[in-house]
Amino acid sequence: MSQYRFVRGGLKTVAVLGVAALTGLIGLGTAHAQKTVKVGISLPLTGADAEDALHIKNGAVMAFDEANAAGTIPGYKIDIVVYDSGTATAGQYDPAQAATNTKKLVADPAVVANVGPQMSGEGKAMAPILSEANLATITPSSTNPDITNPAMAAQFKPKGKAIYFRTVTTDAYQGPNMANWMHDKLKIKSVYVLDDSGAYGVGIADSFQKQAEKIGIKILGRDQLNPKEADYTTVLTKIKALKPDALYYGGVGQAGVKLAKQAYDVVPNMIKAGGDGMQGQAILKGVGFPAVEGWYCTNASPHTTESPEAADWVKRYQAKFNNAPYDDYTITSYDAALVVIDAIKRVVATGAAPNRDNVRDAMQTAKVKTIQGELSFDPNGDLLTKVVSVFQYHENKAGPADNLDVQAPYIGVAPETPQS
Amino acid sequence: MATTPNIEGARGVFGTFWGHVLSKERQRVVALVLLAAAIAFPLIDGNEGDIDAAANATAFAILALGLNIVVGFAGLLDLGYAAFFAIGAYTYGIFSSYQIQPEWSSFWEPFQWLGLVARMHVEGVPIDHAHFQVSFWLMLPVSAVVAAFFGVLFGAPTLRLKGDYLAIVTLGFGEIVPIVARNTPYLTNGAQGLNGALPPSLPWYGSFGVASTPFYYLGVGLIVFLIFVSMRLKDSRIGRAWLAIREDEIAAEAMGVNRTKLKLLAFAVGAGFAGMTGTFYVAKLQTATPEMFTFPVSVMLLVMIVLGGMGSVAGVVVGTLILQLLQSWFLQDLTQWVHALGRVTGIGVLERVDLVQSIELIFGVILVVMMLYRRQGLIPERRAVTALTHAEQTAVPSRGGLKGELKPLHRTAVDPNQPLLQIRGLAKAFGGIQAVKSVDLTMMPGSIVAVIGPNGSGKTTLFNLVTGLTRPDAGRVTLAGEDITGQGPHVIVEKGIARTFQNLRLFPNMTLMENLLVGTHTRTSTGPVGAVLRTPGVRHEEAAARERALEVLGIFGNRLMPRREHLARTLSYANRRRLEIARAIVTEPMLLLLDEPTAGMNPTETLELTDQIRGLRDRGISILLIEHKLNVVNEIAEKVIVLDHGEKIAEGSPAEVHRNEEVLRAYLGRTATAAARAAAAS
Amino acid sequence: MGFFDVLLQQVINGVSLGAMYALLALGFTMVYGIIELINFAHFNVFMVGSFVGLWVFEAMGFSGQSEVLYGLPLIGVLLAGLVVVMLATGFLGVAIERIALRPLRGVSGTAPMITTIGVSYILFNLVLLTVGANTLNYANPLPKVSWDIGQATLRLREVLLWVVSFALMLGLHYFVRYTKMGKAMQATAQDQEAARMMGVDVDRVVVMAFFLGSALAGAAGMIFGLYYNYTSFIIGYTAGLRAFTAAVLGGIGNIPGAMLGGVLIGLIESLGGQYLEVRWTDVIIFSILVLVLVFRPAGLFGRAAPSKS
Repeated sequence: MSQYRFVRGGLKTVAVLGVAALTGLIGLGTAHAQKTVKVGISLPLTGADAEDALHIKNGAVMAFDEANAAGTIPGYKIDIVVYDSGTATAGQYDPAQAATNTKKLVADPAVVANVGPQMSGEGKAMAPILSEANLATITPSSTNPDITNPAMAAQFKPKGKAIYFRTVTTDAYQGPNMANWMHDKLKIKSVYVLDDSGAYGVGIADSFQKQAEKIGIKILGRDQLNPKEADYTTVLTKIKALKPDALYYGGVGQAGVKLAKQAYDVVPNMIKAGGDGMQGQAILKGVGFPAVEGWYCTNASPHTTESPEAADWVKRYQAKFNNAPYDDYTITSYDAALVVIDAIKRVVATGAAPNRDNVRDAMQTAKVKTIQGELSFDPNGDLLTKVVSVFQYHENKAGPADNLDVQAPYIGVAPETPQS
Repeated sequence: MATTPNIEGARGVFGTFWGHVLSKERQRVVALVLLAAAIAFPLIDGNEGDIDAAANATAFAILALGLNIVVGFAGLLDLGYAAFFAIGAYTYGIFSSYQIQPEWSSFWEPFQWLGLVARMHVEGVPIDHAHFQVSFWLMLPVSAVVAAFFGVLFGAPTLRLKGDYLAIVTLGFGEIVPIVARNTPYLTNGAQGLNGALPPSLPWYGSFGVASTPFYYLGVGLIVFLIFVSMRLKDSRIGRAWLAIREDEIAAEAMGVNRTKLKLLAFAVGAGFAGMTGTFYVAKLQTATPEMFTFPVSVMLLVMIVLGGMGSVAGVVVGTLILQLLQSWFLQDLTQWVHALGRVTGIGVLERVDLVQSIELIFGVILVVMMLYRRQGLIPERRAVTALTHAEQTAVPSRGGLKGELKPLHRTAVDPNQPLLQIRGLAKAFGGIQAVKSVDLTMMPGSIVAVIGPNGSGKTTLFNLVTGLTRPDAGRVTLAGEDITGQGPHVIVEKGIARTFQNLRLFPNMTLMENLLVGTHTRTSTGPVGAVLRTPGVRHEEAAARERALEVLGIFGNRLMPRREHLARTLSYANRRRLEIARAIVTEPMLLLLDEPTAGMNPTETLELTDQIRGLRDRGISILLIEHKLNVVNEIAEKVIVLDHGEKIAEGSPAEVHRNEEVLRAYLGRTATAAARAAAAS
Repeated sequence: MGFFDVLLQQVINGVSLGAMYALLALGFTMVYGIIELINFAHFNVFMVGSFVGLWVFEAMGFSGQSEVLYGLPLIGVLLAGLVVVMLATGFLGVAIERIALRPLRGVSGTAPMITTIGVSYILFNLVLLTVGANTLNYANPLPKVSWDIGQATLRLREVLLWVVSFALMLGLHYFVRYTKMGKAMQATAQDQEAARMMGVDVDRVVVMAFFLGSALAGAAGMIFGLYYNYTSFIIGYTAGLRAFTAAVLGGIGNIPGAMLGGVLIGLIESLGGQYLEVRWTDVIIFSILVLVLVFRPAGLFGRAAPSKS
């Protein structure tokens, strides 16, 4: 009796083991055929910048999903790891949280690259950690020049290699180029400069002001807005009395929207300009016409949302994200992801397994065709082509009211050097 | 003495559970277990991200402990504590980062030799610059001192303010500091953030760089250090003085505590801790922006303390731990759980909610709930009460009395031939009311003088003028030949006058023993450093003070002695009066001012106290007392002065005053003759 | 613009700023006067009120800069909005008092104030989490009328703000001084026990005070939204601190004092910004707060230092 059972039991065991072995082999086979590589996305998805961060995330996610679906990288799938660098206590991005997220990314050996950060304040906290681990990140929107400034290499890339790549130009160009443009095209002789006390705003206003002074535009004054405050009539009255040719505002929408509205009341006929913080759906909706009419704004990238590639991209984007809003940074984020994908692809093509060292090196030597055009980087991680685009808000009653391309059309490129 | 601990104050929402966990031995065990867990944590959880989050959390724990000293120990609600955090951070930033880069010159060479400054050459920049790189370990105490200095600066204006207003002023400073940081980019790089603060380095380890683990251990070390300092301070002369100020400022000052000095000390120590933490945090993050030091940070620290238990070191540690775990771990898991619940039940909102973002909302809820239902926090300041034995409870009250000389901690020789107290022309008006109108009084040493008079005649005001609680408009007060007019109350205690209050001003949440020990404040001298180090001299002084307190307790027999570890608010009315008198005696006064000491006592108790007062006089303490019970006055007073409407209307022996026409008119409304006439007429 | 034109314009700006702060300070100072409580939540009730106003106007069909009204329809719409908002925030205030503050009525120390910080946080974050961080456009039914005085401009909406603010201040002051309920409030403010013994229903008085104070906060919120054409979750923060300083400067507990304090703060803001720099405004105002509390806690018109410790 017992022998029977034993034999039967034994047969059963062998059968089970056999099936297991077979599945295992098949599994191993497919595993060999499909490996994963991780890419991080670190953005302040909580707080004041959450909406913009979401646009950026969508752009990158779209690129990675498309690459996975199309099998762009043979034998590899890209796994996205999303980290939130915003905290409720800070009400916006938190450099300490960004640092912690970077440590998490660094701790995972499967992570070979990162897309982000959104804000330069986070970037400063992240850069030394990235440099230590030789993990490259590529940002679609951080424009503060310090991080890739070779003079500050000791602080931000102590290990020497560039790890902070960008698909936007820095404020070292955005501000000054606009000064040049205003000098050439608008014949501005005097300007009053404002910033919104934020890291980005102060930086771009500083760089604008320095260039303006250099090319002979008189700076009638410089002051700082409190984004939490409601009323800017005091400073606008002050500006009105000084009668500058133009008002330049470095900063984002929280103060920008209120400034635009109130400036329309106090100084309706003054030329007003801002940086990329004044470009976007939030400004269009928040300020509205007629108040936003005539405002100039810039973008630290070539204008691409109206090119045929972009049109196709917009269609795909809206299909994927259910007609969600997008802006120029969504595209630069998509392009940033393309750079990462391209880098991993080239590494795999050499037969090596992608790790953060070879991916970084590949990114350094990138020559990627993107919606912005062909992208390459200088030794510091900045874009080789430094294009600043200028736009102006101009009501177009014929077109859709919420389309930024229609209501804030592209005017031209802001030059790197002034004409006269 | 019974030994079953019965933890009072630990009841409430959580039942008596906490009571059982909190015995001293158990506390020690729990602390050691926590410490072991903290040390083992990075080894168990190898994830650099988790360790990094934990290292950040240690910074906030230190801040909470520091705030606990200001809010919990001294009762000063500081809503702008983050300002000191910022000051510590930027101090380090000024001395150890790439922020300030003066051009190189020979001036910097000696500093270079000391290793404080390095010569920096950058490609493409023609002139070399000096790079400040003062050692982190040196800057840690330096930032603490700088922050402490600002603590005193910001605390000074708040000294005379009461709770709410003090909080608002500190909130104001808390708002001002980050704005100033933003507006002085030369020092701080303003909104763009500090560049390249130097991480610490150790000779055998090298630079900490961006590794989280060494920072974590450093943070844990700092926490342990701070817990140690907090506990030492709490259980010392300084801690008791803080507690007394928290309980009743006026009484504390009247018992010899220099309010100003101790409040400033609390601010300084608290600020110092925050300054240290600022340096730690910036060295770790290598950057700093003004937004890191705003009001929500101060509120978060407040929430930690409110949750854990104000004044309770263990409570604050627990509160911090809970909140950090909540933020970094628990809320994320809970969010997943809620999402799953949403999917199952089909409620869309649940699927989208992100609890991690709601942490600030949770802070608000914690504040409200804790204030409403458990103000003492999760782990209240432990107040152990040993229950009385049955025998002690039913014992017949004994008189005690003074056995021999009271061993003094301090004594000045009193010249028996010179007046002890001389009051000349003392006057005080409040608005339009002249409370005291030019009163004269002379007391010889070793006498008992009574002050009597109808209500509102200025008796208590007279006491307040003599003891410094109120400044006189005119007149002089001289004690043993020294002019003490208008001095602060704590100075007068030190000179040798003590008092009790008409309406009792004990420290209700301190034990009897602690109440008495506050009385020894002027006769002891341990400062904060001594309190932390506990040198033999300090321990000796503490023991002597305790002995003294026990002796004084003994005066009242077994009424107070068995209850010496009980909270003062649990005493019966008569015992409270006795305790107040005992506390005054402990200050070793030459002159004791008793304000209606027998109020509320029955005749037996009154007689007993009268005897004790006489006993005190026999031992060398002169007594000036306000009394309404004329039989007491007749019993023990050698001299009586009568006040009416702020003026002295009579002075003499009790018998003389009893017969005085003016006195009768004051008390009865008319003289004896007029009363007799009226009686005859009717 | 000549020197005097600039000065005049900044004075106009300052008085407008001040009127807004005064409006916000009124309810706050009144509640403090009665129960000696610094109610942090007041400034986020203000913020909630502005959102309620936003939704009321959207429900009535106004949003953005869509339509301008004149005369009777304008007044009707504004009044309707005001009534709804004030009722809503009034009841919110009553709820806050009942749930969070009444249990702490006898408690001394800072516990009640800490509770109001908690309530303030709850309101702030509830709005942030539900509505989001965006700045929302407010209805703007007011006609764009303005007058020129030399080179300075005075706008209709500024005049309306001054008028409404002053009227509400007068109304409140009259109410507290001369009506029965108002006198009951004054009695409670001086001595709760004695008032109770005189037959004053102290609970009812406190509830009334909170209702009134919070209704005023809500009204201020709606007026803010109409005036600046925007609202967002953060408006309570800066406006709150400035209104708070205004209340303290004028004498906390004193209603006309709040008006004067508000105007003073507004003028300091505008003149300070013109002749110094706008970036230092907050530092100046907080310094004033500290200085007043330290050297003259009674403010310009207030009682002597608070009796509560």
